[in-house]
Amino acid sequence: MIWKLSLTGIKNRFKDYLVLFSGLVVASMIFYMFLTIAINPSFISKDIQAPTDYLNFIFAFGIVLLIIISSVYLTYANSFLLNMRKHDYGMFMMLGAKSTRIGLLIFCETLVTGTLAMALGILLGFGLTALVSRLLIAKLHLTISHFQVILPAAILWTVIFFIVMFFLEALKNVHKLTRTPVIDLLHENQKPFKYRQHTGLRAIEALLGLVLLATGYYIMSLPGAMILFIIPAALITIVAGSYFTFNAFFSAIINFLIKKKSFSYHGIRIFTLGQLKFRLHDYTRMLTVISLLFALALGAITVGLNFNTLKDQVEENIYYDTTLVSTSPTVKKEVARLAIKSRQTYHYKENKAHLYFKRGEFTNKPVKNVRFFLKNGNPTYHLETLPIKKLDRPGTNANNAFGALVPNGTAKIIRLVSNAKWQKLKGQNKFVTFLKVENFKRDYPTLLLIQKQQLKENPAYDNLYSASKPSSYQFISSFSSGFEFMGFFLGFAFLTMLASTLMFKVLSGTSSDKARYKMLYQMGTQVGVLHTSIRQEIGTLFLLPAILGVIDVLFGLKLFRIFLPHPYNKIWIPFLIFLVLYLFYYYLTVKLYEKIVLDYEKNN
Amino acid sequence: MGEILRVDQATKTYGKQGEKQYQALKGINFALEEGEFVAVMGASGSGKTTLLNLLATLDKPTSGHIFINHQDNSALNANQLADFRSRQIGFIFQDFNLLENLTNRENIASPLSLRGVPSRRIDPLVEQIATRLGIKQILPKYPAEVSGGQKQRVAAARALVHEPAILLADEPTGALDSTSAQELLDTLADLNQNDGITTLMVTHDPYAASFASRILFIKDGKIGEQLLKSGLARQQFYHLLIDHLGNGE
Repeated sequence: MIWKLSLTGIKNRFKDYLVLFSGLVVASMIFYMFLTIAINPSFISKDIQAPTDYLNFIFAFGIVLLIIISSVYLTYANSFLLNMRKHDYGMFMMLGAKSTRIGLLIFCETLVTGTLAMALGILLGFGLTALVSRLLIAKLHLTISHFQVILPAAILWTVIFFIVMFFLEALKNVHKLTRTPVIDLLHENQKPFKYRQHTGLRAIEALLGLVLLATGYYIMSLPGAMILFIIPAALITIVAGSYFTFNAFFSAIINFLIKKKSFSYHGIRIFTLGQLKFRLHDYTRMLTVISLLFALALGAITVGLNFNTLKDQVEENIYYDTTLVSTSPTVKKEVARLAIKSRQTYHYKENKAHLYFKRGEFTNKPVKNVRFFLKNGNPTYHLETLPIKKLDRPGTNANNAFGALVPNGTAKIIRLVSNAKWQKLKGQNKFVTFLKVENFKRDYPTLLLIQKQQLKENPAYDNLYSASKPSSYQFISSFSSGFEFMGFFLGFAFLTMLASTLMFKVLSGTSSDKARYKMLYQMGTQVGVLHTSIRQEIGTLFLLPAILGVIDVLFGLKLFRIFLPHPYNKIWIPFLIFLVLYLFYYYLTVKLYEKIVLDYEKNN
Repeated sequence: MGEILRVDQATKTYGKQGEKQYQALKGINFALEEGEFVAVMGASGSGKTTLLNLLATLDKPTSGHIFINHQDNSALNANQLADFRSRQIGFIFQDFNLLENLTNRENIASPLSLRGVPSRRIDPLVEQIATRLGIKQILPKYPAEVSGGQKQRVAAARALVHEPAILLADEPTGALDSTSAQELLDTLADLNQNDGITTLMVTHDPYAASFASRILFIKDGKIGEQLLKSGLARQQFYHLLIDHLGNGE
């Protein structure tokens, strides 16, 4: 009988259950999706092609972060379940049901709900992973071949994590339900909330929050070599800082606005501020998680997209587009297809130990080079004209740079001689031509072909082409594809989790909010004013973590200076993409919320 | 004194045409003079709440008209109705309906800020009504921090601070202990007698109804008869009412 009653209770609150269930499904889906990347060794080693130790550390760290976020999320979802059921179970106990029976009931309900949601989450995870990966690979023209949609290890770890979590949560529910007096269970919803706090303590907390955030941001700007210290230290300071900031600093601002009567006594502003004050108190933990998720999502997309620009940077970092050393018909034919912007040819004679160039040829067309150096620990590039005097002076930058551009230039000694002297020298007559084309990206396939053909004709010139612009471009393209894919994938995964967390939390408060809005409506508030209030209130809840999230990202990007020379390059693009998606979630939340809390207006 | 409220042949039918319909109000007619204190009594399901919703402009009559301050509110659109409510009507509910995320002061101030009263004028008005109702000392507190009786006084202050044409009270003593109920009813009667606040109170409690000067009985969606205080002391009126109810009227 009691099982039947319990099921009827679920049926009656189907909508709330749907919110809870979908939240849990999203959590397990994201968890699975992340694991498909993080514990897929062939994807990491073959598609990403980055130092494995470093990546393993990044992913291990990511998994820890995801576990923390998912745990907070599940704890919250569980408290929502418990609050939803307290009244029903209190009633059953009042009617004479034994507390052990009720304990068993809530235990099973938590575990069954969780397990079902997890199973569905993993199934949807397959679909979504397939969809997202296919979409990203197609849209971004990536070369990903080792990504697996169904990864048994990821399934196993997702199942283990969620079963353990739900088991613990179920035990917690049993403990809470069987220890709480029946009368409290029945009247739980009517319990007043208290958010009075000592002003002095709050001021200290607000200050501490800002100091911790500033410390976290400072830590992230430390030299990249300290990465093993930076990540955990920044995580601790920023998480704690965000928590205190939400708990005290933003609340202090709201309190200040409430006290400023000329501002708050205007329309229903005082109510909106009151709602926000209440929410900030209730949402502190949630907003902290959201700001982190926001930073992770935006950060992942920004970094992902920045990897895309990495190959563009190759264009700037290497001056000449290709080097010609052959006059074979095949090479000539391919060269004819290029739209050439500039051509510099240098003739030389090669013997056993030397390469003799005509000095005069350099006077007319000096050699250019993009010089790489570290400035304050950051990679920096500078375009320079190699001084002719130093081209044949061993050990100089000019000599090294030029040597790298010509065949056998590093193995033999370079000499620059006068025209007259050159004529008298013995050795093979050779030439080297440096080309710049009008549009590197357009001619890139042809440039690769030319390079390949010349290499076929002269296999000994391997060194000349291994670091050429087309080769670097090709290498960086495949390397960055993996990161770009990962960035976008994780970005969307975090964004989905963030949005569902915020939406879930906002929507779970609708039962008490409904009465408040109805009250305002009865008092004569126009429906349009209520809509505005809702938009402002939910807008603030979306905006505050977004502000912290954006600041987190702006500082956090410094961490990526190790592989990205310009992490802030074209930063507006990912920010814009993210803004559009975030606004979409905001709009969706507002609409769903309005539909629930303002449903009485349909009657009129 | 002029007429402040007139209900003219008001009916309310629930359910769409062609479906099963239920007529909650079957042609209600009555009027309230300015400064009157009227109680509407009736059993559960008699149509009390439906009538109150119509008077409060929260719902519209299926047919007939309701005039408050000579204005026919059936002709107003949703926004005009909202403005109308914010100016002409004050509410007190059984379960207080205070906004628990606002302090008592902010709760009382809300109808004024809603009406666009300049902020500097709001606090003096709030304090004036709070003093009148004896709740000045609890203004900085939150509703959750005060007793049920005090909550209902805060609700009354909120209902009256903007000087509405009529105060509508829906079972205002329903959630109060006897002492708090007595105090609230004394306050309502005092406000009516000394400040001329026109009050319409819906109740099923004869004791509460005995504070009114006129009692309308509603039964099966119709106003039956009415009982007038006509100079009787409250206790006498109460006994008369008990006798009336005891006779099965």
